[in-house]
Amino acid sequence: MSARRRLIDARLHLLDRQVLDVDGEPVTTVDDLEIVGVDGDAAPGEPAHVAAVLTGPVLVTRLLGGDPPPSRWLRVPWSQVGHVGITLDLTVRGDSLDLDWVERWVRDHVIGRIPGGAHDPEEDVDS
Amino acid sequence: MKKLLGLALGILTAIGGFVDIGDLVTNAVVGSRFGLSLVWVVAVGVVGICLFAEMSGRVAAVSGRATFEIIRERLGPRAAGANLAASFAINLLTLTAEIGGIALALHLASSIEPRLWIPVAALAVWLVLWRVKFSIMENVVGLLGLLLIGFAVALFLLGPDWGELAAQVARPSLPEGEHAASYWFYAVALFGAAMTPYEVFFFSSGAVEERWTRKDLSQNRLNVLTGFPLGGLLSVAIAGCAAVVLMPRGIEVSSLSQIVLPVAQAGGTLLMAVVIVGIVAATFGAALETALSSGYTLAQYFGWSWGKFRRTVRAARFHLSMIVALLLGVGILMTSVDPIAVTEMSVVFSAVALPLTYVPILVVANDPEYMGDHVNGRVANGLGSVYLVIVLLAAVAAIPLMIATGAGS
Repeated sequence: MSARRRLIDARLHLLDRQVLDVDGEPVTTVDDLEIVGVDGDAAPGEPAHVAAVLTGPVLVTRLLGGDPPPSRWLRVPWSQVGHVGITLDLTVRGDSLDLDWVERWVRDHVIGRIPGGAHDPEEDVDS
Repeated sequence: MKKLLGLALGILTAIGGFVDIGDLVTNAVVGSRFGLSLVWVVAVGVVGICLFAEMSGRVAAVSGRATFEIIRERLGPRAAGANLAASFAINLLTLTAEIGGIALALHLASSIEPRLWIPVAALAVWLVLWRVKFSIMENVVGLLGLLLIGFAVALFLLGPDWGELAAQVARPSLPEGEHAASYWFYAVALFGAAMTPYEVFFFSSGAVEERWTRKDLSQNRLNVLTGFPLGGLLSVAIAGCAAVVLMPRGIEVSSLSQIVLPVAQAGGTLLMAVVIVGIVAATFGAALETALSSGYTLAQYFGWSWGKFRRTVRAARFHLSMIVALLLGVGILMTSVDPIAVTEMSVVFSAVALPLTYVPILVVANDPEYMGDHVNGRVANGLGSVYLVIVLLAAVAAIPLMIATGAGS
């Protein structure tokens, strides 16, 4: 990054933005953020920072209030975020992330079992 | 020819908005009861949808973000969730009506009971969603839907008193025996049909499906300026036919066969056959548009991968949601509800979905982070703000008018 510091507003620039994997494939939306260092999680005096992008059940608690147990968080560690623009771009492939398990389950158990599911629509006919 | 095919996205989007099965009937009802005195509403609606569809297409081309992604991003999970629920309801109700409409149109052509056509129609829609390439889908369905031009041909063949029709357009007045509330109910219904939110969901997602970039901005404008005025023209032609043939005889439109009556009278069996093919294609196109929109909105809200340009296994939840929507639609139809009455209920949901869709589009079209130097100009912003007010007024008025008039009856 350049020496010029960029001001990022978590609510405006992070929350609810689309997350893309390293190939540009959609992974999820930023449903919530894990912030470390505000409640004494980090050593006193250390600045608070974003530890992870959260998704999954946290969307429900963000809508209705409450607090899901950390064991149910689906997280992408902030170290895997490569770039913050109008999307959050990861440095890893979506398939390697745990949080994509629903997509994979639907693919393997429903869509993949219907004939023609693996067909590439861009390949046939004209081209 | 290639230029013409490049306009298919705009044409198909507009057909789904202006002449889907519910609107076919609404237009004919309006024509038979109010003549052409509501044409001004169609004109206002065409300008509005052109304005916002152009913005949504421009955002998609420049930033690669489709409309529901920016709705979620700007409104947050709650308001966007309310919009998602309302929009999904509109999509589902319209999809249900369209499947029923295909069945009704095929019934008209074959005299086999509509209920038997319903599963066939739904299966055909699904097969196209599952296998057919996006560009082929939009070209075939969009161009066949243009056969509805037969209504305009019929209007000319009927040789109406053009001065009289022009007077109805220019000086709208309430026909005797009609209540002002009914007039305004249909005004709101026509405006809502023109501006229905799934048009921008489909149009912007279609722009992503076709991989538009900054270079395609003129293509975007051309699509918008051809498609929607054409849709408006078809809708006026249908109303015109009804105004010339059905209104003087006091025939009240309640079924699809009455809509094509003027066409049969003017052009005989041949023109009628052309128009029926057009109706099947238009309803089929609207079914595809609403089914895809239900997948697009869900996927974009939750950040799933979506799009027909991906292999189906690479957009599993997107395809699963469209399958579920189709099954729900067939389920609703099997209770033998009148498919056309189903669309009337979507007016209620439009009241929520319309403002929550068009506000974020206008905001993001002004955001240099997304748009670079392609942000809105002054004219687009000025007109856009005026239209937000109109949209709000229509949204607020819709439900009371619907209750007061018993949905126009």
